[in-house]
Amino acid sequence: MSALEARLTIAVGGADGFSVEADLAHDRGVLVLFGPSGSGKSLTLQALAGLIRPQRGFVRVGGETLFDSDRRIDVPTHRRRLGYVPQHHSLFPFCSVARNVSFGLPRRERRDDHPRVKRLLEELGLAHLAGARPASLSGGERQRVALARALAVEPRLVLLDEPFSSIDGEGRGALREAVRATLDRHGTPAVFVTHDAEEAIALGDRMVRYRRGATAETGDPSAMLPMAARLSLCAERVRVVTDSAAHDGEIEIALDNARLRGPATVLPGAGAAPVRLHLRRAGDQKGGGEGR
Amino acid sequence: MTAPDSFPVLLSLRVAAVALAVVAPIGIAVAWFQARRDYRGRTLVDAAVLLPLVLPPSVIGYFLVLLCGRRGPIGAWLLEWFDIRLIFTPAAAVIASAVVALPMLVKTAQPAIESVPADLEAVGRSLGLGPAAVFFRVTLPAAWRGVVAGLVLGFARAIGEFGATLMFAGNIPNRTNTMPLEIFAAYQAGDDDRALAYVVMLVGISCVVVMLATRLNPREVSA
Repeated sequence: MSALEARLTIAVGGADGFSVEADLAHDRGVLVLFGPSGSGKSLTLQALAGLIRPQRGFVRVGGETLFDSDRRIDVPTHRRRLGYVPQHHSLFPFCSVARNVSFGLPRRERRDDHPRVKRLLEELGLAHLAGARPASLSGGERQRVALARALAVEPRLVLLDEPFSSIDGEGRGALREAVRATLDRHGTPAVFVTHDAEEAIALGDRMVRYRRGATAETGDPSAMLPMAARLSLCAERVRVVTDSAAHDGEIEIALDNARLRGPATVLPGAGAAPVRLHLRRAGDQKGGGEGR
Repeated sequence: MTAPDSFPVLLSLRVAAVALAVVAPIGIAVAWFQARRDYRGRTLVDAAVLLPLVLPPSVIGYFLVLLCGRRGPIGAWLLEWFDIRLIFTPAAAVIASAVVALPMLVKTAQPAIESVPADLEAVGRSLGLGPAAVFFRVTLPAAWRGVVAGLVLGFARAIGEFGATLMFAGNIPNRTNTMPLEIFAAYQAGDDDRALAYVVMLVGISCVVVMLATRLNPREVSA
């Protein structure tokens, strides 16, 4: 029984509108819908969520049919039990962070100190913001709250629609890792829409590429995307593991599933400026990427 | 000269409050429907809602008498089946006030509801909220400033209603003589002091209302 199976024809805007053909299958982890803006990724996501009605096709989640045009099944959004994290306007502005997270719980359990709410806030590093209003949060904090809120109702599948697109580069890497770790911990499969290759590689277990309004190919994101994105990701994921005081430490680099570890020298005076890393394999010379 | 009486003041407040209670659910429902539903004839309804704002109150009063007077279709039906007579009663004053308050409420609440992002409602639905719960727990709280501003303005319009009230409810002492009617009556009788007393009260109420409405001016939903 797979987490998600869908084959959809979605048409919007009438005769001279736009149509999308999507064919998706997903088991566990994160499925990335990848393609340029306007290729139909978000429409697919909205159709999965039940926010728009496809012309034809079916959606099955965890074995249950949520939509089937032939059998005239169309489960309304509020009964689909799918988490949804939109690009913008994701938080309810009129209530606190904790209230946002507990929003979807049944009335009796809807408390700020509900164990699941507290745990999610802690996992996503938001515990100190429980009483804060959404307007006072940074973009990254807002999207963490939006994810916590989606997971609080224990959905069968989480749908994320370019959730990091309005967040600057600095915070994106950390946010990605936090989101990925939280999804892994809860074991909730996710569908993640992005047009960013780095993001696709960092988050995706599988990837579906959109081309001219249709899903074209499926595979491993790091095998499907160009080398440039993989290198810059490599740089972003560089972490100094030990000892910075002596300027001599050990460095760990993660690229895809591979990890490199070895002695490293940090040159004095670099400060917060970008640092060029030279990776050298024992015996021969190999260049590296750039990082901060 | 007669001293100002408390009856018209209390009556005006009561009439406006009841009119608001009647018109609030209708007006908010219309505002939501116009903001969120796309259907044929939507602009026609938009214009119809605006009509009481631009028509002279005497015309509204005329229509109300035509519909709800003893020989009007509604008036005759009420009289025959429920033995209720509307015309020249405080209830008539309430109806006249409600009709003129409706466009104020709808025209202020509708843009506020329109400005609630669709994504916010989509998130509510994904969290398991049915259509009614989405409205009461997401849309209304997100648009509350505009909706309350609409209610406040509607109240102000209701308490100041004159022309339609005069025609439909009449000016019956201790029964339908609201403040605006009393001002006209006192002025005609040359009792300027009494007129002034009511004028001051109405101006005071209106000032409070306008200040409230300005403070409630809808802000951008930012999160």
